[in-house]
Amino acid sequence: MAEATGTIGKGIKVRGEITGTGALEVAGEVEGRVALDRLVVHGGGTVAADVQVSELVIAGRAAGQLVASKRLEVRASAQVEGDVRAPSLVVEEGAVFKGRVHMDTGIPEDV
Amino acid sequence: MATTTRQDEQTIIGSTITIDGEIDAEGPVMVQGRVVGKLRSAGDVTVDEGGEVEAEVEAETVAVAGRLVGQVEARNRVEITAEGRVTGDLRAPRILIADGAQYKGNIDMG
Repeated sequence: MAEATGTIGKGIKVRGEITGTGALEVAGEVEGRVALDRLVVHGGGTVAADVQVSELVIAGRAAGQLVASKRLEVRASAQVEGDVRAPSLVVEEGAVFKGRVHMDTGIPEDV
Repeated sequence: MATTTRQDEQTIIGSTITIDGEIDAEGPVMVQGRVVGKLRSAGDVTVDEGGEVEAEVEAETVAVAGRLVGQVEARNRVEITAEGRVTGDLRAPRILIADGAQYKGNIDMG
C-alpha cells in the first residue's frame, strides 16, 4: 500500500488546498479542499473539506463533500456529516453518520 | 480514544503533496513537498532538500535546505544550509548561512 507521504499532526491547522499524490494522515485540523490518493483522518483529527481521493478512512471527524473513487471506511470512532460518494463503503458500528450516500451501484436514485 | 503517539504530533508535508493556504501549527513542521501561502508554527519549521516554500513563515526556528521564497520571521534562529536557496527578508536574533547557500534579501537581527 502507498506509504504515508504526509502527516498533519495534532495541534496543526491547515486552511486551504492540499493536492498531490500519495497518502496523507490527519491528526490535526484541515479545512478547504483535499485531492490526493489516500486520506486517513485519525481519531481526534478533523477534516472539513471537499475531499477527492481514491481511498478514504475516517476515524475522526469529517464534514463536506467526500468522494472516494475506490473505497470509504468509516470507523467506529468517526463522526461524519455530508455527502459521501464511493463505490465501496464500510460503516462500523458506533460511527455517527449524517448525510447522503451515493454508492453508484446502479440502484435508481429515487428508490 | 485520542491516541497520542509521537507520530501524531509531527507534521510532514511529503514530497508529493502541495498545500496552498494557511498552516498553523503548535508543533514542528517538515516540508518535503510544496507549501504556498502562510506557514506559522510555535515550534520549528524545516524545509528539507527538495522542499519548496513560497510563503510567509513564522516559527521558533526555521531551517532551510530546500527552496524558500518569502518573508521569514524566527523567534530564535534562521539557518540556511549549504543546499538551501532563500529569497526574502529574514528577521531573527540569530541567523546562520552556510557556505554554499544562496540567499537574496534583507536581514534584520535587531
